[in-house]
Amino acid sequence: MKHPPPWSVGALYLRLGNTTFGGGDPTMAALQRELVDNRGWLTAEQHGLAYGLARVTPGTNVLAYCAATGWMLAGWLGSLLGVSGVVVPSALLSVWLCGAYDAYGVNPWFGAAMSGVVAAAVGMMASSGVSIIHNRAKGRWLVPGLLFAVISVGAMRFGLLSPLKILALAGALGALYGDAPAGEASA
Amino acid sequence: MNPLVIYLVCVKATLTSFSGMGSLPIIREEFVVQRSVLTDRQLSTAIAVGRAGPGPHGLYMVAAGYFMAGIPGAAAGCAALMTPAFLIIVLLQRLGRYRENPRVRGAIRGITIAAGSLVLSAVVPLAQDAWSAALPVVVSVVSFAALLWTKIDTFWIVAFGAVAGVAGLWLGA
Repeated sequence: MKHPPPWSVGALYLRLGNTTFGGGDPTMAALQRELVDNRGWLTAEQHGLAYGLARVTPGTNVLAYCAATGWMLAGWLGSLLGVSGVVVPSALLSVWLCGAYDAYGVNPWFGAAMSGVVAAAVGMMASSGVSIIHNRAKGRWLVPGLLFAVISVGAMRFGLLSPLKILALAGALGALYGDAPAGEASA
Repeated sequence: MNPLVIYLVCVKATLTSFSGMGSLPIIREEFVVQRSVLTDRQLSTAIAVGRAGPGPHGLYMVAAGYFMAGIPGAAAGCAALMTPAFLIIVLLQRLGRYRENPRVRGAIRGITIAAGSLVLSAVVPLAQDAWSAALPVVVSVVSFAALLWTKIDTFWIVAFGAVAGVAGLWLGA
């Protein structure tokens, strides 16, 4: 496999990470196409290992994927450039948008637009929660998964447990129940 | 708000999630409920801002950090979003063989489902804040359905919300 210079790695992640909308999966798909198919910088096996481990790394999957593939290509510097190339420009855009919110928040038209955007965000969050549960509560996990979901919502809404304790309990129960290997899993 | 505290709380939230929005319940619990340094409206705005552009969904932490402590807060949120990603290198070096372990996979599946449930639970107070009239309810429902059942880009959902809000003011809705 080729070992590109770190700046080439950073430039590629900068370009793909900031021109692909829709979150992590489309970005990882674009990176796979470029890294494996077009440039031959990684093998399909290396991509598979990074993709699989990114799913079990805490935090944002796509950033873990960038850290892993950047490290495979150009060591720690490649990893740092890969992750920051995807995050920093988008973060700067977020800060600029927040600044606009601060500056124009009192304008009634801007305020009305933001109220609509906030209402849309409520729909986004609800769809995000449903989609997370729908993607994981499948096969032998359908019934226990839905049970986990209902109990978690109830425990949170009625203030029985903190979010951290709910997640820890869910992790412990999930480990006890177990899961099928990746090839046999339904999700 | 001290940016270091923002960083530490955001790292804690990120370390206990396996998706971009999975950190939201802990962020809300810590900053909105316990410390009262962020309002539900600011958090909803941060989510919308984070998803208005490209990049990972967890970017809302940058905007939330900005609302709490300006540029240093945004930098703290950004650093906290990035930090846990590098754990994968340790996993690559030492723990790669455990990724197919049924217990490990089960634990992650359980945590992820619980995180999705907690995101749903966190929607309730945000909706109570946002739903001041009929129009925001319609916008939320349309956004929810469009994101769940179509491949439409999130950017267009954010744009739809903004246009609907302006149209509502213009029409007096």
